[in-house]
Amino acid sequence: MSRLDKLQGDAMLASLMSRRGFLIAATGTGVTLAFLRPGFAASDAAAVPVEQAFEPTIWYQIDRDGIVTVNITRAEMGQHVGTALARIVADELEANWDSVRIKHVDTDPKWGIMVTGGSWSVWQSFPYLSQAGAAGRIALIEEGAKLLGVSKTACSARNGMVVAGNKSISYADIVRKGKLARTFTADELKALPLKPAADRRLIGVPTQAIDIPSKTTGAARYGLDAEVAGMVYARPKLPPTRYGCSVTSIDDAEAKSVKGYIKSIALDDPSGTVPGWVVVFADSFYAADRAAEKVKVVWTTGAAAKISEKDILDHGVKLIEDLKTGSMVVNDDGVDQIFSSAKTTLERSYTTSTVLHFQLEPVNALAFENNGIWEIHTGNQWQSLILPTLAKALGVGEDKVVLRTYLLGGGFGRRLNGDYSVPAALASKALGKPVKLVFTRADDARFDSPRSPSVQRLWMAFDENKKVVGMEHHATAGWPTQVMIPVFMPKGKNGEPYDPFAISGADHWYTVGAHRVRAISNDLANDTFRPGWLRSVGPGWTNWALESFIDEAAHFAGVDPVAFRLGLLDAQGKNAGSAPSAVGGALRQANVVKRAAEKAGWGGQLPKDTGLGIATTFGQERDMPTWSACVARVKVDRSTGVVKLEKLTLVVDAGTIVHPDGALAQCEGAALWGASMALHEGTEFVNGQVRDTNLNSYTPLRIRDVPELDIEFIPSSEAPVGLGEPATTVVGPAIANAIFAAVGARLRHLPIRPDAVLKALKPA
Amino acid sequence: MTGFTLNGKPVSVDVADDTPLLWVVRDTIGFKGTKFGCGIGMCGACTVHLDGRAVRSCITPVNAVAGASVVTIEGLDPQGQHPLQKAWVATQTPQCGYCQSGQIMQAATLLKDYPNPSDADIDAVMNGNLCRCMAYARIRKAIKLAAAEMRGASA
Amino acid sequence: MVKRILIGLLALIVLGVLGTFALAWRPAIAPIDRPAASSFPADLVARGEVLAGAGNCASCHSAPDGQAYAGGLGLDSGFGIIYSTNITPDPDTGIGHWSAAAFVRAMHSGVARDGAQLLPAFPYTHFTQVTDDDLKALYAFLMTRTPVKAEEKTNTLPFPLNIRALQAGWKLLFFRKGVFQPTAGKSEEWNRGAYLSEGLGHCAGCHTPRNALGGEKTRAEYAGSTIDGWLAPALTSANPAPLPWTQDDLYAYLRSGVAPLHGAAAGSMFDVVHHGLAKLPDADIHAIAVYFVDRNGSAALADNKSALLVKTIAFAHRDTGDEATDAGAHLYQVACGSCHYNNSELPLPARPELALSSTLTGPDPSNLIHVMLEGIGRDERMPGVYMPGFAKGLSDADVVTLASYLRRSHSEQPAWADLSGAVASARGIKHQDKGNP
Repeated sequence: MSRLDKLQGDAMLASLMSRRGFLIAATGTGVTLAFLRPGFAASDAAAVPVEQAFEPTIWYQIDRDGIVTVNITRAEMGQHVGTALARIVADELEANWDSVRIKHVDTDPKWGIMVTGGSWSVWQSFPYLSQAGAAGRIALIEEGAKLLGVSKTACSARNGMVVAGNKSISYADIVRKGKLARTFTADELKALPLKPAADRRLIGVPTQAIDIPSKTTGAARYGLDAEVAGMVYARPKLPPTRYGCSVTSIDDAEAKSVKGYIKSIALDDPSGTVPGWVVVFADSFYAADRAAEKVKVVWTTGAAAKISEKDILDHGVKLIEDLKTGSMVVNDDGVDQIFSSAKTTLERSYTTSTVLHFQLEPVNALAFENNGIWEIHTGNQWQSLILPTLAKALGVGEDKVVLRTYLLGGGFGRRLNGDYSVPAALASKALGKPVKLVFTRADDARFDSPRSPSVQRLWMAFDENKKVVGMEHHATAGWPTQVMIPVFMPKGKNGEPYDPFAISGADHWYTVGAHRVRAISNDLANDTFRPGWLRSVGPGWTNWALESFIDEAAHFAGVDPVAFRLGLLDAQGKNAGSAPSAVGGALRQANVVKRAAEKAGWGGQLPKDTGLGIATTFGQERDMPTWSACVARVKVDRSTGVVKLEKLTLVVDAGTIVHPDGALAQCEGAALWGASMALHEGTEFVNGQVRDTNLNSYTPLRIRDVPELDIEFIPSSEAPVGLGEPATTVVGPAIANAIFAAVGARLRHLPIRPDAVLKALKPA
Repeated sequence: MTGFTLNGKPVSVDVADDTPLLWVVRDTIGFKGTKFGCGIGMCGACTVHLDGRAVRSCITPVNAVAGASVVTIEGLDPQGQHPLQKAWVATQTPQCGYCQSGQIMQAATLLKDYPNPSDADIDAVMNGNLCRCMAYARIRKAIKLAAAEMRGASA
Repeated sequence: MVKRILIGLLALIVLGVLGTFALAWRPAIAPIDRPAASSFPADLVARGEVLAGAGNCASCHSAPDGQAYAGGLGLDSGFGIIYSTNITPDPDTGIGHWSAAAFVRAMHSGVARDGAQLLPAFPYTHFTQVTDDDLKALYAFLMTRTPVKAEEKTNTLPFPLNIRALQAGWKLLFFRKGVFQPTAGKSEEWNRGAYLSEGLGHCAGCHTPRNALGGEKTRAEYAGSTIDGWLAPALTSANPAPLPWTQDDLYAYLRSGVAPLHGAAAGSMFDVVHHGLAKLPDADIHAIAVYFVDRNGSAALADNKSALLVKTIAFAHRDTGDEATDAGAHLYQVACGSCHYNNSELPLPARPELALSSTLTGPDPSNLIHVMLEGIGRDERMPGVYMPGFAKGLSDADVVTLASYLRRSHSEQPAWADLSGAVASARGIKHQDKGNP
């Protein structure tokens, strides 16, 4: 499979080997510059000039005081990723955790592809960071043995020390006194003995996240906090549609009354990222903001100015009904025959509305040229994706652009698409000064790459015993990967490319007989806005349809929804699972379903109009399954249609859990995101623009809406998989299924609004 | 020129009278812990204390605080060890952390008014503070932890 | 015949006009050289300063970006814009040439030094009650201000209202000259309150409705009125406050700007409290409170106050059941609750309980809308009472939704009519003097 994750992992390893290798040697005089730029560090690590350090791999170094600094290439956006990754290194390295620091690094080709998303960070990093830690441990033991004058076989490493009987030497002393010069070939590295799970001392052990203290004192630095001497502020003036606009005229006569206003410039963008943009400059953000309100721009507008949400959904229905379109992601033999010979079939359609990222820090970037290098200071999740675009926009080589790293005031996939840094760079180039471009909240919402509205239709074929013998799942939405990085689209069975992120989830682990999954790009959505990757991406809608449909199928077949699922999760054939990450297959999914049902009191008595609903998922991708199940308990007010979410019970099997509390926090957040998108937030396109651009009308879940949460991890030493997203995708269908259990109303559109519940309650 | 006290020290700024306090505190003076989220007083990320009470600095014009005492997250406790800050760490509440300065400043006012807050009190007072990472369960837990410590300390 | 009648009528009109002019004629009072500031005793000036505050002179006689007492503030009379005049002692553009006698005549009779009739936007109808003694102190204060050269702005009154002589006719109808006379049978404190309120304080100027010609309706004294788009509520028993205003409440309100069981002064009343009455001694504030508490009859209701409080809060805190479906409820929870929430029938002073605010129970929504949009200014007399305005974040539709939700959930009054119109006019009118632009 030429999936992004494969590409990414391979590319990273390749870069590792070819450019750097695993040279084990003390480096010469080196200074960690990043820490010396005040306010530029995304981590809590102290600024330590390093005179002579042991840098066995590019992933970490040990200085003369024994401080281990782990280089983190992943963005910190709330997942405490640095802590988890450093624990992986430190565990194999046998480092003293108190001596471990993290450093979030700027872009550099040596890091390989820099991306933080897809719930991949721990899953992808675990193998090579473990090996890197082990390599360091072996080198330190060898050199430590020499210094202690004992055989290396007599030595072991523990807690930052090499120990041989009653003799010991600290890592700091080895770095200071030793001559570290050990190299490993790639094959040697792969063959390094990793610790058995039982010997782990840090992985899976509770610890506090390194990034947290500074987030309680105001010291943490986000992109918005970046400053450079001589910078001017700017606010963009957005054109009426995402594409196809050009500036006809700019009238800034009124803006000139704003003290501090400098000028307004229409951007010339060779990369085509921000067509028709005007940037308003001033000596403070407030002046830029006020001036932007007074600048009058006339545009020629794109065709999307006449497109609204219903047009996109209607177009989706047309696409689904036109069987010539789309890519066959799964296409078992005999699907059509099974359906034509089936005793009964079930057909249902599901839709979802547009969702905004609404990460709390509006997008922003500081850009300036510094000695021939363009520096972009911003929070970003996929530096490697935007860097070539920035180079193209600026008309320079990629080696002339560097992205400096900051904390992200929320990612959720918004900052995988770094498009917001392009106008900052162009503005700086146009003005010839450092420019800090800040989007207002409304600008951010209008320029969002939202989660596309989606249309899905599912069919199930049953034999005379109501046994499932066939299934089809057809889904259409705007495709983020097609729009932003089409090279990452694999081809389906019919040779047509598809966006894996927009259909993953439909290729489930249920045994359903002949199975077909068809993915269709909604071109009207793609032309109207730039579809984005939003926390859980495709499974956010595919699993909504799938798990609602499985529930409907269970009721259709007259089987309890938990029992129905367990019956289909039989781990037969392609669902048996395989190493490295999917050992156990569907049985592990069946296990979380059983456990969640049991914990939530499935089958017990409930008050009137109260119901339990179950949903399950394998997470983001078949080869990185995060087995998850959720039971939602809701109470429905029949007179108002209001759904009160009372409790969410989640059980997750994510293999080895590296940072338990961080893992729990990710599941808490993901589950509540699921609840928010199910019951609270959501917007729609009106004439090419999202209807809701701020919190007066956009209504994400708040503290008063939080249900009781009961989240459990299945103890496991299997390969660690991703945790940032999976819990998001089970909550919506669990709620809809619970509503059905409570009052018999079936909801097939997200978000679920009270009026829709009332409508569904009315007897047909 | 508008003068006021910021984190215990007198400051004087020469900006347009209607400049939101948020930008004055962040960009004119340089305390970056106070954040910009919505700009309309509905997310709480910009919450600071004005005369000892939580207020949304993004919609507070600087001339409204002339002569007043303003405290930001940096000034809540000299060592960053206010019971709320300690509780936030103990419960590992922050995720991305962007809203947390505002959450903590709002929670300080909550505890001033209701030293032993119920869930309903927390919901009502903290509902204006959006946490997009949705660390709400921990925010609730941390508030109760800090409240217990503060009651213990004052008992 | 018809012609003769017409001629007769015309003659009568001419006579009437001539009569009015005759009536209007007042002699000029000779200009004086501007007296030296040092010619006024310091204690007299100090007393004058307190009185200038009581009269809130600066509020009208200062423009938003201008200097104190230099005039130039435009007041929308309903007939046209009237600009306040410069009352600093600048000889050319102010009152530098005015003698004390000229000043007293202007205050008592509404006639300028040069004999011109003053427009009743200048409330001489009240100032006529002020004693000569107090006026001399006020004169001493004004004549010791720094002179500011500020040319008078031209009013935009249409013909014939711009004919000053016609004011004499208006005076015949609406003006009763005479210094305050104490009411027998009332306490000295009551009479002191009445003197301050009816005279310099000219409370009725805002709180009494006006007739079509701009005169105060004497039969509807303190029945409430609208001024600059704000509702100046009734100060009679018709006052819309959910709880009766006791003497302590009123004292707290006038002294600090906030009464815990009522709310905070906003709009032009913010200015009255924090700038006008600020220097008035406590005894005088108490006296004003005594006077109005007697007028509004709230003493009779005071016994019932606790029960009323419990009932009012219980109603406002009831579960309306529509919290999850009502966009107004959502806005309240997102934008208002963090400051306004109270968890019991004993609201915390720092948490203004909206159920007790007359902005929600009053006959029109203007004050509520103004406060939602513009907030409430800050003053050290009421620390922590500051409220920012939400004009930027609430659309007009949001304001309507939120206001109607608050009215429905927090009061038992019927829904307001034409909220949209009220929002539109509030957006248009920005009061300049409430300390919170």
